[in-house]
Amino acid sequence: MPYSLYLPGNSWLHRLHPLTKLAFSLAAAVIIFAGPGEWLSAALPGLLAMLLLWRAGLAWHVASVSFRLLALLSCVLFLVHGFFNPHNQTILLALGPFAIGVEGLAFAALVVLRLAATLFASLLLVVATHPAHLVQALAEARLPYGLAYLLGSPLLLLPQIARRVQAIRDAQQARGLETQGSLLQRARALFPLAAPLIFSALVDVEERSLALEVRGFSAHHPKTSLKELADTPPQRLARWVMLLLAGLLFIAGVWSRTYGGR
Amino acid sequence: MAVVEVQGLSYTYPGADSPALKDISFQVEAGQLLAVIGANGAGKSSLCLALAGLIPTLFHGQMQGAVTVCGLDTRQHHPGQFAGRVGLVLQNPANQLSGMRYTVYEEVAFGLENLGTPRQEMPARIENALQQVGLAGLGERSPYTLSGGQQQRLALASILAMQPNVLVLDEPTAMLDPQGSQALFTIIYKLARAGTTVIIAEHHLEWIASFADRVIALAEGSLFLDGAPGEVLSSPRLLQAGIGWLRYTRAAHLGQDRGVWPVNRALPVTLNQAVKGFQTAQLYLPGQEQDHADPD
Repeated sequence: MPYSLYLPGNSWLHRLHPLTKLAFSLAAAVIIFAGPGEWLSAALPGLLAMLLLWRAGLAWHVASVSFRLLALLSCVLFLVHGFFNPHNQTILLALGPFAIGVEGLAFAALVVLRLAATLFASLLLVVATHPAHLVQALAEARLPYGLAYLLGSPLLLLPQIARRVQAIRDAQQARGLETQGSLLQRARALFPLAAPLIFSALVDVEERSLALEVRGFSAHHPKTSLKELADTPPQRLARWVMLLLAGLLFIAGVWSRTYGGR
Repeated sequence: MAVVEVQGLSYTYPGADSPALKDISFQVEAGQLLAVIGANGAGKSSLCLALAGLIPTLFHGQMQGAVTVCGLDTRQHHPGQFAGRVGLVLQNPANQLSGMRYTVYEEVAFGLENLGTPRQEMPARIENALQQVGLAGLGERSPYTLSGGQQQRLALASILAMQPNVLVLDEPTAMLDPQGSQALFTIIYKLARAGTTVIIAEHHLEWIASFADRVIALAEGSLFLDGAPGEVLSSPRLLQAGIGWLRYTRAAHLGQDRGVWPVNRALPVTLNQAVKGFQTAQLYLPGQEQDHADPD
């Protein structure tokens, strides 16, 4: 499916229950940002996610997507913090009136590591989980169906939004809008692209909600599903263990930052 | 037996100055193919929403009168209770995709899942629906790779799988090319002949003239004509309502002025009627005795 991050497949990661993968992603995010020992807490969940993705044959895909998402941002972070971080004391390189500080670079590296690790853990869920199965799993976990759809819809509607962005870009380019070139040119093109996208999306919301209603979205019947989501006692246990571990490491992180003389 | 009963329906959208529907009354018999015509803004879409049970519950406007579909009063039942009884197909195919499914097959299953259909019943109903709309071989395709016409047929299949008693279509061909429109019209006609009650709001008067059992015409929210296609589509009141006539009707009307179509003969609304009428017509002068065979 074009524009979608989900990769259809039948790897062991695909076959895991969506809530197991969701629990892993959530636990990883908590540990990455709030665990004790900043570097270790940031690195380990990311490494573990990559290892799991590698076992499922999805590591290269995730690495490639992550690189595309993070490359520019990482450069900006290193430049900004290298030059302007207020904690810069150890000068690595002086360029006229400007100097690159080691502390700023280290902070930027930590932020990039956290972002990359979070991305790996999130993509583990996204690339190997059919969005509809995630919504189904959430609904089966007694989350209200509307809320489950709301949580899943950003993934579900991505292809449609991407297609619309393409159509708007084509239409605006046909009228002479420059969407390629320098950063300034791209920034100038942002409003003529974003405004129609937002307005048309708002217009579509009504028709889309009507279409869902006529297909029984809010029907009070107990819902069924075309496919059964396989779940096992070990997976249920693993979910609780992961969430418990995240909770413990969160507390340990808060404790170490409060009393550890950070 | 009437499956749809509309009694004195008036409806005003929240914040609107004037009503979108004004004192509309009609009934639809089971198995009937009813066409709703009208200029843009005449109230066709609002009527479709009311028939699908979405007005007044989802829109919270002011409604007078009553709409009863399959024995359920739309004022007293939630739209979810109409799903499975009334199917609604809208104009834009892309907006009718659930966005929750990766294949055509799964997309059709979406409505069945919401209705709580047992899993073992689903394959037969899905395959039957896809067969009916001519998408049987495309079950594993992504809905997003289909053409507009195919997506609209998928929207129809998704509704048909839910086995509704009444099918309401709101300008289903508005965004389709002629080929896609023709394919969809053929399916709708087959469904109607198989006994499905069909209510279709449409601008294609030629198709309506040939295949509808009955036509109602709306103007500014009011129902002003209700009858057989030949009767409604040749009425001069369509011109005042901004709907216009088919070219055959216009040609015969001009023929009346020029003495090649008798003034006392009904104006044609199909190509066949027009051809037969002109073939049998003879030049005559006003006041002459006329004796023409019925073109039908």
